[in-house]
Amino acid sequence: MKKRQWTGLWITLLAIVMVLSACGGKTTSTNDNAVTEGTGSGSASTTLTIAAATDIESFDPHNNNNTSSEAVLVNVFDYLIKNDSEQKKVAGLATSWDQVDDTTWRFKLREGVTFHNGDPFTSADVKYTLERVAKDETLKQNSYFKNIVEVKAVDDYTVDIITDGPDPLLLNRLSKMGAGILPAKYIADKGFDAFLKQPVGTGPYKFSKWTKDDRVELVKNENYFDGEPKWNEVVFRVIPEASTRVSELLAGGVDVASSIPSTDIARIEGEADKKIVKAPIQRVLQLIFRQTEGSITADPKVREAIDLAIDKQGIVDSIAGGAGIVTRTSVTPGNFGADPSLYKTSLYDQAKAKQLLQEAGYAEGEAEMTISVSAQYKEQAEVVAAMLEQAGFKINLDVLEASAFSERYSSKSFKEIFMIGIGNSLFDASNNYNRYMLEEAKGESDYNNPEVEKLLQSALVNMDPAAREKEYQQVQQIFSEERPAVYLYQMEGVYGTNAKVNFAPRSDEMFYADEITPVAQ
Amino acid sequence: MGKYVLKSLLQIIPVLFIVSLIVFILVRVTGDPVALMLPETATAEDRAVLTQALGLDQPLYTQYVKFLGSAIQGDFGQSFRYNQPALELVLERLPASFELAVAAMFFAVLMAVPLGVISAVKRNTFTDLIISGISVIGKAMPNFWMGIMLILLFSVMLGVLPVSGRGGLSHLILPAFTLGVGLAAQMTRLIRSSMLEILNQDYIRTARSKGLGRMVVIVKHAFRNGLIPVVTIMSLQFTSLIGGTLITETVFSWPGLGQLLVVAVNTHDMAIVQAAVFVIAVIVVVTNILTDVAYRLLDPRIKYD
Repeated sequence: MKKRQWTGLWITLLAIVMVLSACGGKTTSTNDNAVTEGTGSGSASTTLTIAAATDIESFDPHNNNNTSSEAVLVNVFDYLIKNDSEQKKVAGLATSWDQVDDTTWRFKLREGVTFHNGDPFTSADVKYTLERVAKDETLKQNSYFKNIVEVKAVDDYTVDIITDGPDPLLLNRLSKMGAGILPAKYIADKGFDAFLKQPVGTGPYKFSKWTKDDRVELVKNENYFDGEPKWNEVVFRVIPEASTRVSELLAGGVDVASSIPSTDIARIEGEADKKIVKAPIQRVLQLIFRQTEGSITADPKVREAIDLAIDKQGIVDSIAGGAGIVTRTSVTPGNFGADPSLYKTSLYDQAKAKQLLQEAGYAEGEAEMTISVSAQYKEQAEVVAAMLEQAGFKINLDVLEASAFSERYSSKSFKEIFMIGIGNSLFDASNNYNRYMLEEAKGESDYNNPEVEKLLQSALVNMDPAAREKEYQQVQQIFSEERPAVYLYQMEGVYGTNAKVNFAPRSDEMFYADEITPVAQ
Repeated sequence: MGKYVLKSLLQIIPVLFIVSLIVFILVRVTGDPVALMLPETATAEDRAVLTQALGLDQPLYTQYVKFLGSAIQGDFGQSFRYNQPALELVLERLPASFELAVAAMFFAVLMAVPLGVISAVKRNTFTDLIISGISVIGKAMPNFWMGIMLILLFSVMLGVLPVSGRGGLSHLILPAFTLGVGLAAQMTRLIRSSMLEILNQDYIRTARSKGLGRMVVIVKHAFRNGLIPVVTIMSLQFTSLIGGTLITETVFSWPGLGQLLVVAVNTHDMAIVQAAVFVIAVIVVVTNILTDVAYRLLDPRIKYD
């Protein structure tokens, strides 16, 4: 019996030792890599390491719908047209573009560009890419591109893009993630699955390795058409836990860390060789009202009282650690159609709010309403609720887990108010306002204003930029009076960086590796 | 014995069937993946198209029958997020979680065996009190808090160990230690009581009275018998390590099964949640059977009928 016991023990121990040595063998080889490739601070000039909270979804730019994916993918895939850091359109893979008629645009393509596998870039790639995203309805970017009817290859370096109607937003669409140009021949030869495992683009960095939820490794594309890239290697690390991300920055494991919590800002600024950099991002936190008849928020006086009762700057200072810009419009500068007179300003007057509420016929605590909010904005919502209660409202706060919030959002089943941060990947006012058009607003806000409807419908197809801009500015002025929504503030991206790199965050939250440069020593 | 194993294997089937049903229903009543997949500006029409493309417009039982049919063939569907077979994604992550679990177990044994034995031998002394105190603290300390503290101490202040990620052996130390401590605390107490019981047995007293040295008796006679229940506990704990490292993996950005599951739940990636829970269920069931078998091998007095 004794002997048998020992056999069992030894087998267990042996198994543990074997497994451990197996891990050990593997780790040694990765260690060697780390030394030669240099992920540490010693070789900061050749490797750039960036930490984000979420991983990319895949290397399919057409089937991705999150900013952190695009932030990585822009280094691998190019667009026909690029946004520079001020959101102005500049040449990418297309060198020039003209509008032929209301529904046709002609693009001249850059010659001599090759994909990472050596294939030349031609109009066939543009045709394949844009028709794929425009026609496959299961792709996550399809809704942005489905108005493209056809892409005609006029010759190897000229394409005509034809839309189903006048589309003033075509250039905006072509400079966002779903328009990342894919290699038609490579995909035709090897299949899409092989492409996803070994993706190939025309961008400044080539795919090297992707360990899901850990890191994406890119290496320099020596043959990049726009000159030699700055870094030998660019590593995107995924670190979901904010305090770990901050620690990694402090310990020198990463050069740039995104989404720094406001509570850690002072800690990073206190370090001599670390910096905090901020930039406004495309997201405005706002309260959207239901104006259905019978709803308490259908009364313009009530909506005005809500606006006046909230101290927006106070929320920015207390909850966001100062990382926010108050605004009375959601179309912020850098977006087409912005009205600067409503930016960097807010209204706050508790006394008047109380008075308005009385005028609307509600005694203290009678104006009862529910604010639904996703858990990520819980703190902001709590402060808003407290401020409203101070002004005499009775608030039921309905904090929902993110996916539950999304479901209620898409089924349009919120009560009086929902609080949401809305981004704008098209950099155009239409993205902010389409929800207030009669058909879209049905069941959500039930907003209905014929004048606004006319302006929005016209702007949707207006090919004269100057007139179109006026239309959106008019809508903003009406909204600032009517308040179908109350805007709290435009959020700012907060990044921590190693003082050894120069990094100016972009409002679109992209990480163009070549815009981040080592500080000269 | 062979009959027992066969019977246990057959019992796996209904267990896994029930697990699959529960997960399937829970995942479907808790949210809408379509809403998370589409941009904020998508129209109702876009949603309808995608819902149909994913087969989510069909009645629940039709979806379940379809799911079960493919699951039997090892197909748990495509992950929405990664657009890749879910089972493949889950299996890709297993080695990382397994590595962490083994290393945690290693740390736990390394700490618990000497502490447990010393504590039993020196029972009711000051040393025993200290060890018991440490193990109570170890058991009570939340994983995530300890992880963050260890990062601050060893990575940020001392700079001797990497903060996060999976790489060399050095990356393994902090997360494995974090996970191992709670386990070690439990094992220390188990070893202590098991040793105490044995030290009071007649054969130990006999050995001592024969004039054998104290150390010889403890190591050769008491220790090997005292370890039997510990081995059993170890295998049981191992399964909970595989499935339950969510928090530690998130704190240390360890790309294992736990982290995959957390992201999948957050993004409502149903296929991954189903596949991951299923795989964890298989591991738990199989390990339980192996434990029973091992236990029986170690102690023939135990019978299974």
